[in-house]
Amino acid sequence: MIEDDIYRSSTQFRLWSFTRDSLQSLRANTNALAVERIRATQRRVREAVRSTTPSTVEASTPNPSDAEGGGKPDVIARKDVVCLTPEEELEFVGYYCEQTLELGETYKPSLPTAVRATAIQYLRRFYITNSVMTYHPKSIMPCALFLATKSDHYYMPLQEFANGVPGITNSDEVIAPEFNLTKGLRFTFDVRHPFRGLEGGVMELQAIAQGSGKPGPHHPEKTPEGLMQALLAVTPLDSSPDKQRSIAIRIAKAHSKAREILKTAAQMTDAYFLYTPSQIWFSAFLLADRPLAEFYLDIKIGPPAADDGVNADSTSPLTLIRAKLVSTLSNCSQLLKSYRPVSSDPDKRKSLKGIAKKVYQCQQVEKLDPVGLGRAQKRGSGTPASATGPVGGADAISESDMERVAKKRRLERERKEKETRDIFGGELVAQRNKGAAM
Amino acid sequence: MCESCVDRIFSSGPAPCPVAGCHKTLRKNRFRKQTFEDINVEREVDIRKRVMHILNRREEEFDNKRAYDDFLEQREEMISNLVYGNDVAKTEADLKKYAAANMDSIKANQALESKETASFLERQAIEQEQARLRRQAARQEYDNERREMLADRENILSRLAAGKPGDAAAIAREGQKVLLKKSSARRSEEDRMRQKQAALRGVEARRAGAGQQPTTADADSEASSLIKGLKKIKPPEPEKPYDPFGGFNPDKRDYYVLQDYYPSSWLDRIRDDVRMQAGGYDLREYYSRTLLETFAGLGCFIEDEVSNRNNTTLPVSKSAHSQGIGTDVF
Repeated sequence: MIEDDIYRSSTQFRLWSFTRDSLQSLRANTNALAVERIRATQRRVREAVRSTTPSTVEASTPNPSDAEGGGKPDVIARKDVVCLTPEEELEFVGYYCEQTLELGETYKPSLPTAVRATAIQYLRRFYITNSVMTYHPKSIMPCALFLATKSDHYYMPLQEFANGVPGITNSDEVIAPEFNLTKGLRFTFDVRHPFRGLEGGVMELQAIAQGSGKPGPHHPEKTPEGLMQALLAVTPLDSSPDKQRSIAIRIAKAHSKAREILKTAAQMTDAYFLYTPSQIWFSAFLLADRPLAEFYLDIKIGPPAADDGVNADSTSPLTLIRAKLVSTLSNCSQLLKSYRPVSSDPDKRKSLKGIAKKVYQCQQVEKLDPVGLGRAQKRGSGTPASATGPVGGADAISESDMERVAKKRRLERERKEKETRDIFGGELVAQRNKGAAM
Repeated sequence: MCESCVDRIFSSGPAPCPVAGCHKTLRKNRFRKQTFEDINVEREVDIRKRVMHILNRREEEFDNKRAYDDFLEQREEMISNLVYGNDVAKTEADLKKYAAANMDSIKANQALESKETASFLERQAIEQEQARLRRQAARQEYDNERREMLADRENILSRLAAGKPGDAAAIAREGQKVLLKKSSARRSEEDRMRQKQAALRGVEARRAGAGQQPTTADADSEASSLIKGLKKIKPPEPEKPYDPFGGFNPDKRDYYVLQDYYPSSWLDRIRDDVRMQAGGYDLREYYSRTLLETFAGLGCFIEDEVSNRNNTTLPVSKSAHSQGIGTDVF
């Protein structure tokens, strides 16, 4: 099928499609690496503390109440930080995905659904290979949303955007983790959403309902009138009478229902990684109006082989696709159905609070890392990967760094001045040596 | 037969051959003057001319040299048959059949041949003309030279006659020098001319060579049974209309047929909005993109395809790994 080949060339299929197992193992691996890193950091902190104030560490007595405060290095050094499991990480990311939706609502006018969905997918993609213990979603989330406004052609000035984000005073804080985010996205910004696909399907169904729908290229024997009759004959959801007027309303109802599912459940689950956009919208449509969705599948791909295995050609690609689609779509609808919003679930809220506390602890450890301080990220500095230091933004640039840079600049200036005084310029060899040294 | 006898017998139209036992009908205009003294030679030349006229295949029409040689041999054999009267009826029939079957190629070859002879004659005429011009130029040169020499001599003589006796030797020497100078200048001039002519001739020869490209005679495809080893000439296939996508139809879709209009209340508003339409916005663009996204990837089963993708990459690393272990052990 040509359409499928077109989709296969997208980065969403090539880089961001996983099986359930590979997705799970990737997340477990990311989590294990992050835990390992935190443990190593803690060891370094412990050694640093011991070397500076050996007496105080030995003298102080363990105090469990200090664990809550967590500000003092000796306390953190002594007690092992409780790290997150991959499941907890996923839950935490899910919470921030919901936050993304809410943040998008706060703007006037609120951000388009596609922009918010793109931001959510950026977050989900980013946290496959990065841990919430390393990069706190609190800072990544606004950045992802801002990036989504850019990649989805919804222009918004940075200042205006930053004003809408609670807890952010400086607009630079929004874009501080941008490079790390894009790196985590493997520089692929294209997200294929199921929204437009749903619109297309509804458009075709409405056309059929009006009797002007064209049959698919593989079923030239069907006529628009026949299609309309078949659509009218679809078993109704409830016992409402069948009239052409009501079928249009029914389609519109199913449309809005499916759209709601796509806006929430499809975003909050792993559907984008496990299924293609067209499968996702078909599944959502199945949930919204099963007979209608099945009718649409039948006229497009043909009836399922199980029903009339006699005359169906089992080798034709359409029949094969239909056979596989049945299970794939039902799996996908199961996944979509399984979603429960966090706000409606008090147990989830409680567990989320626990997770947030743990993440906070991990962040405290990071902050004390004697090595990490020197390696603090700064935006646009061009330092390679180093998934080490926390994304602190502009304030993370340490004092010593600033001094060193200033000194370097001063030296450079002095050298330039000296050279301009010299008639024939500076010595060539000496200059080269200097350059190499720097 | 003498001229007066021909006049007498055939002036009133075709008449039977006067030789006893020969029943051929002859015409006056077919008679001609005898070239050779021996009537047999004359006859052979006639026959040869006729056969060559029909069997006029050219060397480039054959697959290889061997086939061409075979053809030549066959031709000679037929000529000798006709000359010496062996199998005359069969040979004649063969010839006639061949001539009827290969009318086109025979005609084409004849045209070619006549063209070749014409161009040969033309070239020869040109060459002769050039030679004549060269000769003329040389003669004129010679005349000029002589005239000049005479004039110089006269000049010297007159100066000698008019001048003082002391100057005689100087004048004579001067005259000699002028003569020498002139002759050397002439020689160099001649050299230059010769070089020029040689260059011209070279260019002409090349041009003639270029003009003499062997034109492939379009021999007919029906291989004559008489001659073997002819090249198969297939007519070039008619050119197909240009297809930029090489047979691929970029508008072809497997799941849907694009319509020009889809009912949608909020799209209808765009359709009627002049402000939107003024910029050239076409709703069909939206339709095509939307419907493509409706079905793009419907037949992509990630569970299968991605795991296949992983499987294809895994064994490589595994084998490399085991190899690495192997080298470590041994």
